[in-house]
Amino acid sequence: MDIGEKDKYELGKRDEHNNINYQAPVLSTDWQFGGANLTSAGMSLVPTTNPLAIGSSCASASLVDSFGSSLWEHPSNSQNMGFCDISVQNGASSSNAMEIGKCLPNSLRTSIDRPFDMGWNAASAMLKGGIFLPNTTGILAQTLSQLPADSAFIERAARFSSFNGGNFCDMVNSFGVPEPMGLYARGVGLMQGPDDIFAVNGMKSVSVMESQKSKLDATEATRDAGLRVENRAKTSPLENERKSESLMQPNEEVKQGTGGSGNESDEAEISSRDGGQDELSTLDGTGGEPSAKGLSSKKRKKSIQDAEIDRAKGGQTSTKTAKDSPENQQKQSMMINKTTGKQGSPASRPPKEEYIHVRARRGQATNSHSLAERVRREKISERMKFLQDLVPGCSKVTGKAVMLDEIINYVQSLQRQVEFLSMKLATVNPRLDFSIEALLAKDIIQSRAGPSSTLGFSPDLSMGYPPLHPSQPGLVQAPLPVIGNSSDVIHRALSSQLTSMTGGLKEPNQHSNAWEDELHNVVQMNYGTSAPSDSLDVNGPRPSSNTKVEL
Amino acid sequence: MNNPHHLNPTSLKSRFTTRFLRALTKIRAQKPISSSSPTEIFRRYRRIKVAADKSMAYSVRSRRIWSRAMLWKLRSRSYRRQDPCSGRRSGKTNQAIMKKSSNENTTTRREDGVGFVEEADELRQLVPGGETMNLCNLLDETAHYIKCLTTQLFSPIGKG
Repeated sequence: MDIGEKDKYELGKRDEHNNINYQAPVLSTDWQFGGANLTSAGMSLVPTTNPLAIGSSCASASLVDSFGSSLWEHPSNSQNMGFCDISVQNGASSSNAMEIGKCLPNSLRTSIDRPFDMGWNAASAMLKGGIFLPNTTGILAQTLSQLPADSAFIERAARFSSFNGGNFCDMVNSFGVPEPMGLYARGVGLMQGPDDIFAVNGMKSVSVMESQKSKLDATEATRDAGLRVENRAKTSPLENERKSESLMQPNEEVKQGTGGSGNESDEAEISSRDGGQDELSTLDGTGGEPSAKGLSSKKRKKSIQDAEIDRAKGGQTSTKTAKDSPENQQKQSMMINKTTGKQGSPASRPPKEEYIHVRARRGQATNSHSLAERVRREKISERMKFLQDLVPGCSKVTGKAVMLDEIINYVQSLQRQVEFLSMKLATVNPRLDFSIEALLAKDIIQSRAGPSSTLGFSPDLSMGYPPLHPSQPGLVQAPLPVIGNSSDVIHRALSSQLTSMTGGLKEPNQHSNAWEDELHNVVQMNYGTSAPSDSLDVNGPRPSSNTKVEL
Repeated sequence: MNNPHHLNPTSLKSRFTTRFLRALTKIRAQKPISSSSPTEIFRRYRRIKVAADKSMAYSVRSRRIWSRAMLWKLRSRSYRRQDPCSGRRSGKTNQAIMKKSSNENTTTRREDGVGFVEEADELRQLVPGGETMNLCNLLDETAHYIKCLTTQLFSPIGKG
């Protein structure tokens, strides 16, 4: 008999039960200790104090019936059962639920003892995690430790508990209560049959807990690494399940849920999924490749997509997990986060690891702190290189401090430019009856004629000086001849800047200071104010004149 | 076409452009620019600047720390302007968090062990929300921030 399904049906019939039961996930988050919140939570809690009682009677009864029967058949078992005396009916009527509801608060308030608290914590923790599945399974998992094995029931509970394993550990960490974990692990151990899964889950959960604690100690805890570890905690129990399909969805959801960690990390993950390569969670995934090639300092990061590949080897990882954690500390390499062991050849990316493997270089200190420092420094220098490409004029600069100064100057200038241009927009009155297509068209024309034009209409690289009289509407008819006189050379130089802006420029280096274009910018300003209005006036621009104007 | 990226409706540039355009039309619809008193112009300038920042931040949503910080700043500013009491209430939690973290950062001077403390601090002041970041994340955010600023400047709304 499939208790789980039957439970659902049973509960579906009874509205009050449904209401009470479904209150639990919502209300358990409040941790309220009074009122209606107690009803459903209390119902689930009672079994924990009476393991034997429930265990004996539950095998052939529905969930609610099991509670009911246990409650009412063993009224003498504990003080918690005090309310049982009040209602003796065998849980088929809705009034039972109400009476239970009334009685529970009284009993619970009077009988708050330690195991009760433990059970409470565990129950709420379970319930919190069990929001995903209907509450029946939450209560089922709560009674996991007590209920005897029933194959279908175990399957269901296994699925829930395995999915919940990671969540549970997260929650436990947040609560900082280790006892429920013990309860859970013990309860897991009580199961028979497919208990291997549970045992492994328990171990895994324990190791997850340990590793999560060690993670807190580590100096290196980047955002993405943290996210991945949590993902790992959620997905790794899933791997141990042999049911792939039912778990694919939670896996996907977990992946998608953490997709919000960033654009680049998303793209990096997707690319790594396709290529099956390691990637770092940095701005570009290329940084991961050199390390994957097996340099003396290896950085490998487990990606979530490896879960599918690991599924085949899932059984091995679980056993390796527990072994590896003590082993790794003895090695020279330092595990910054939790690891699941290293398999496969070093030439290809190691598929199993979940966090950064760092091997100490030859002749370098193997102190964990220095290793962490080195990793951080390498990350930082990698990012500095990326910034070097972004910021024009940084390629010549050597030294991080000078480069940082350059970056600061660049950001300042960009901000000032934005301010200035918004001021320009405030004063000049371009015709805003354009649509996005017109703007796009203008942009296309701009780009098309960009390289071929001698006149450079390029945005100002720096506007250090306040705008010179942009407020006069007379600027709209800014004299085009101005462009021809003094700006040719300037525009030519600056147009090259425009086209190669994002690619890293060499042109500005010709100036002693790239930001000395302000004088030129004065002319540009006049030019710039006229250009938008001109171009925007005409939807179908005259190509020749417009290209000239815009460029 | 030389810039296929711009025709991508989901690109940062097009997102920013549409939003900024909407904001601009709204601002211009309020008052015509015939009145050229400096105060009016200045007010409009402020509004446009805020609109630009806002459109940028909304185009990036919460994917970046700096966009989140910017959004929070904008929201708290608008709340404060509307109703001082509500500003206190709504922005309280965020403010507490930001203050706490910034206090921590200012008291414990971020010695990241790489020796760029002064420059890093300056950069932190420039990038919104930078006070709460370590150097590693700060550089990340700076790169994205630079990219977004250049997008703003190069947008076809007459800015670039």
